[in-house]
Amino acid sequence: MIIGDLSRQECQEILAGKGLGIQFGPFNLRIRSNLKSFAAVAYQLYEPYPLLTAAVISDFHVDMNSPPGLRRWLRPQACFAIDGHSPFAPYNLEHAFPALEWGINWCVATRAHHLLMLHSAVVERNGQAILFPAWPGHGKSTLCTALVHSGWRLLSDEFGLVRPEDGMLLPLPRLISLKNDSIDVIRHFRPEAIIGPSFQATRKGTVAHVRPPVDSIQRAQEPARPRCFVFPRWIAGAPFILEAMPKSQAFLMVATNAFNYEVLDEISFRLVIDMVNSCDCYSLRYSNLDEAMAGLDELSRSFDA
Amino acid sequence: MILVSAGRRLLWQEWDGHYLVFQPSSAETHVFNETTALILRCLEEGPLSIAEARAWTEVALDAAPGELGADEFDFATRRLEELGLIEYRDETIASQ
Repeated sequence: MIIGDLSRQECQEILAGKGLGIQFGPFNLRIRSNLKSFAAVAYQLYEPYPLLTAAVISDFHVDMNSPPGLRRWLRPQACFAIDGHSPFAPYNLEHAFPALEWGINWCVATRAHHLLMLHSAVVERNGQAILFPAWPGHGKSTLCTALVHSGWRLLSDEFGLVRPEDGMLLPLPRLISLKNDSIDVIRHFRPEAIIGPSFQATRKGTVAHVRPPVDSIQRAQEPARPRCFVFPRWIAGAPFILEAMPKSQAFLMVATNAFNYEVLDEISFRLVIDMVNSCDCYSLRYSNLDEAMAGLDELSRSFDA
Repeated sequence: MILVSAGRRLLWQEWDGHYLVFQPSSAETHVFNETTALILRCLEEGPLSIAEARAWTEVALDAAPGELGADEFDFATRRLEELGLIEYRDETIASQ
């Protein structure tokens, strides 16, 4: 079953009751919320994701509810909680949905230490995955969104999940969070993309969420082999430049940008060394998405050759 | 005075003249240039006097005797000591 097999009313009731079980790649979540506005957005954007039965054990139990007391009526807020604890200050009620999405990322980043977690978007085509490790503001999510609406499969917009046993990349095809100008860029680039409402003046500016293509969600249990690292950087007006990067530099950028490199000790070192050894490494500068798509398509064809 | 390797087994990777070393005792990853890496490599084989380590490094660098400056060698060994990768020891104590 998928979330869309429920009616909107059923979805809202389950969220407010025992919790909505959703499978995101290797993780099972149970989400509870008594906020009607939250339920409407969740139903729209989570519609193609697998629905878990109540019997399935969840990795994370998360809540997004109004805090008790007068706050509920004066300046309504929404509070994120995991396993009954609230790690963050309450959010403006209107920002409940992006706050939940950030909270789920936080759960993964702080708890999934059985995997090496690179801060990277990952897309795949013909069984070969490209990783896009990047710092915030470098255009990772915009580029990733454009690619997954141009024939590439989304593994993740945020987490390069590396399985230590074999170095394979596990998909985590969650919603893609776009910020500020990127939202309109994608609306113009791919008008058919399913983008949720824009949340204004959040802690990260204006935020909107892109629902990944259904194929990526349906193939969420299909790992991919890393083939290439591309370190993107969007620079206004810059020409498209894709050039080889020294492996030592690539290693440092991947390792220093990982969520849990230090936590996994020697395993991380070996995994990143193996990945960099087996992958081509490039730096990418771009300003035009069409040029970037064409250049990355050409790169992908060179893999096949 | 002799130099000895202080670490347990180290993990190495060399790319483009840069040496990446994982130090299990601290769970740290270091990046060294060729000179520093070669000093560490030679001490992994066993203790050496400062003069022996410097001469070994010069040979490995394909440099003439005395070509590796004392300042450069000293800087590299002090850095390795700070990181807990090598130790300076008194020769008589070390031989006991």
